[in-house]
Amino acid sequence: MLWIALHLPLLSLESFEAMLAVAGGVEQDAVAARPIALLEAHRIVSTNAAARALGVKPGLKRATALALAPQIVLGQADAGRDAAALLPVAHAALAFTPSVSLQPASVSAAAADTVLLEVQASLRYFGGLERLREAIFAAIRPLGHVVQMASAATARGAALLARIEPPAQCADLATTRLALEAAPVWLLGPGREHWEALQGMGLRNLGDLLSLPRTGLARRFGEAMLVELDCAFGRRADPREPLVLPPAFESKLELFARADTTEQVLHGASVLLERLIAWLAAQHAFVRRFRLLMHHESRWQHSERTPQATTLEIALAKPSRDSAHLLVLLRERLMQLQLPAPTLELCLQAEDIAKRAPPNAELFAAAQNEQEGLTRLVERLQSRLGAGRVQRLVSLQDHRPERASAWREADAATVGGGRSDAMGESRMARATSADAVAGLPTDAARMAQRPVWMQPAEPLAERGSRPLLEGRPLQLLSGPERIEGGWWDVALAGRDYFIAEAGDGALVWIYRERLPLSRSTKEEELFSSGWFLQGRFG
Amino acid sequence: MDTVPAIVSAPLRPPALAGPSPGGVAAPERRIPERRAPETLHPGLWLGHQLGRSAARVVASGFAALDAELPGGGWPRRVLSELLLPHPGVGEIRLLAPPLVAAQRAGRLVMIFDPPADLSAWALARLGFDVEQLLVVSTRSSIVPGSDSLWALEQALKSGHVGGVLAWLPARLRAERLRRLQLAAHNHDGPAFVLRELAEAARPTASPLRISLHAGGADRLRVHVLKRRGPPLEAPLQLALPAVLSEAALRRWQTVVREPAQSLREAVFVNFS
Repeated sequence: MLWIALHLPLLSLESFEAMLAVAGGVEQDAVAARPIALLEAHRIVSTNAAARALGVKPGLKRATALALAPQIVLGQADAGRDAAALLPVAHAALAFTPSVSLQPASVSAAAADTVLLEVQASLRYFGGLERLREAIFAAIRPLGHVVQMASAATARGAALLARIEPPAQCADLATTRLALEAAPVWLLGPGREHWEALQGMGLRNLGDLLSLPRTGLARRFGEAMLVELDCAFGRRADPREPLVLPPAFESKLELFARADTTEQVLHGASVLLERLIAWLAAQHAFVRRFRLLMHHESRWQHSERTPQATTLEIALAKPSRDSAHLLVLLRERLMQLQLPAPTLELCLQAEDIAKRAPPNAELFAAAQNEQEGLTRLVERLQSRLGAGRVQRLVSLQDHRPERASAWREADAATVGGGRSDAMGESRMARATSADAVAGLPTDAARMAQRPVWMQPAEPLAERGSRPLLEGRPLQLLSGPERIEGGWWDVALAGRDYFIAEAGDGALVWIYRERLPLSRSTKEEELFSSGWFLQGRFG
Repeated sequence: MDTVPAIVSAPLRPPALAGPSPGGVAAPERRIPERRAPETLHPGLWLGHQLGRSAARVVASGFAALDAELPGGGWPRRVLSELLLPHPGVGEIRLLAPPLVAAQRAGRLVMIFDPPADLSAWALARLGFDVEQLLVVSTRSSIVPGSDSLWALEQALKSGHVGGVLAWLPARLRAERLRRLQLAAHNHDGPAFVLRELAEAARPTASPLRISLHAGGADRLRVHVLKRRGPPLEAPLQLALPAVLSEAALRRWQTVVREPAQSLREAVFVNFS
């Protein structure tokens, strides 16, 4: 058995900072420079470096801290918030081994701050302990925590060793025991019964403690401490319940200050997005759709139309786990959104996932890469412009030119990929065979001439029985081509089309209405010619 | 020319080498390598009277007369080519279709940004396009005008996955925004055409190639090369576009319009009236 322990010494501060950084849209480094302290029962329990520099120490009263540093940001310590922040770390660890567990804190009220991984069976796959440690660090880095990582032969031993700086790395039981014997006594944890007495007994390390008679230790400090030490030294079984991944993802983040604009929401949403990605990585899955709920201030809901929460649903054309891509989509959608009321809490939910093998990495640009890049490009365009603005043309079987083409929304998943499927190949084959048989009219050549640019029919004036465009007569060059159709629907058309040359030499497509015009008399006077401009040959 | 290097090299020649040279058969007469023409040294160099060459491969335009006047012999890749035209419908699509169709045939995506009017699928199919695979992005009617159109174009150019781009730019574009697009186009491996109004000809451009198009009569296009890497082109090019008119109609155009005899013109429209 080889255990890796991930200890997050600043977890409660970091979980508080995650909700804070949203406030006022301040920059990340500005937040880091701001003194922050957490309170519990009106006493400071933890501070960041900026607050320590101003002399704010754990144990001070709230008023003392405010007197020392008036600009300090004081937050309430919250075990539930810390637990929610630790869970993604455990999820990220689940990508490396199925047996991941949380080490409960020594004090029952406090949240756990250590994740344990049993990695003996994963060593070979990941190429040794050193490579595995690097991979775990890389997987946790996006979550933005300070992590101390120790490895030991026992779970409890790893958890203890991860708390000292620098954390010890032990590969077998013998070195684990040596490292633990040299470890200081305070590791057994603040909050434990008789902890102060233990430190005042002149014992420097755990080895000194173990050399004392066991019965006396049990009488003085309780049986539980001996059990814990036995587990750590591998003399007693220490079974762990592995963490089970929830089938659906849901993570909440309360904002420290209310967010009035979507930019202020974005940072909190990106924190939640990283948690989602850790959850996806744990099961080697990709997300198809997710939604961001923005809960609004209840006080603000003066009208009944203001909803309890605004939901932003994001569906992906192709399942993805790329945080940069998901964040771009989220940002584009958020920028378009108008919040009906200030937001207090964010919640990210996802159930619709796709489990599949990760795509093969490519050394050089390949068709697969290009296809994926195009899908992302179209998704990006659609999320900013709206799906209706990224279109493709289809040709319809109708003689009336205004009904022969139609727009369809482009499908991001298949864009540029039509060629790879069977239909695309047959289309290519047809094109090449048509090219090969030279001299024979191809499909394209047999088609009637149509202008590239179409426009709604524009009435033309007439002078001397010739149609005028921009005050200059048109020279009819080809035609007439009679188009009659539409008797089956309301748009009956009977027209004679001509190709004409405009004054500057460009070719235009005009027609003369054959049917009696049912217009008002005034219009009839103006456009009695019946000539209309409908297209230009681009 | 020949004597100069010989004189210069004579004192530099070491005596040990100079000694055996009368007896030696293969002793080189001149040690200094032959001077190469400057334009052969680097694709970025050319003489004033020559046409510049493109370092990257170019895309054949499909018109031999135009290829002969374009630096490198075709439309450049990785830069924006600027085309100015008085109004849509002078023959610009027929001019630009061959490189874009070639990109589609090669299995790449062709994107069209902000077309000025509705496109006819049948007309594009006739020009050889695979219409279903064309992607048309329209940004004109968005809430903030102008902001999205360049953003979308820039994204497409930057991605490097698009095979060909045809974009209509909004009027009165600031030079630095166009410059930004030009930088984005460095990632774009394929032809990229931006179409602008004729009035832009008075303003400088960051594009290495700028061309203005005018209708030159039925199925004819007059092309002025306004800017290119090389000497300016004085006379416009006359290109014969893929014909819209039938041969008979074209003949009639030549007799009627080219020789504008008043009587003939009268006679023709009498036919139609």
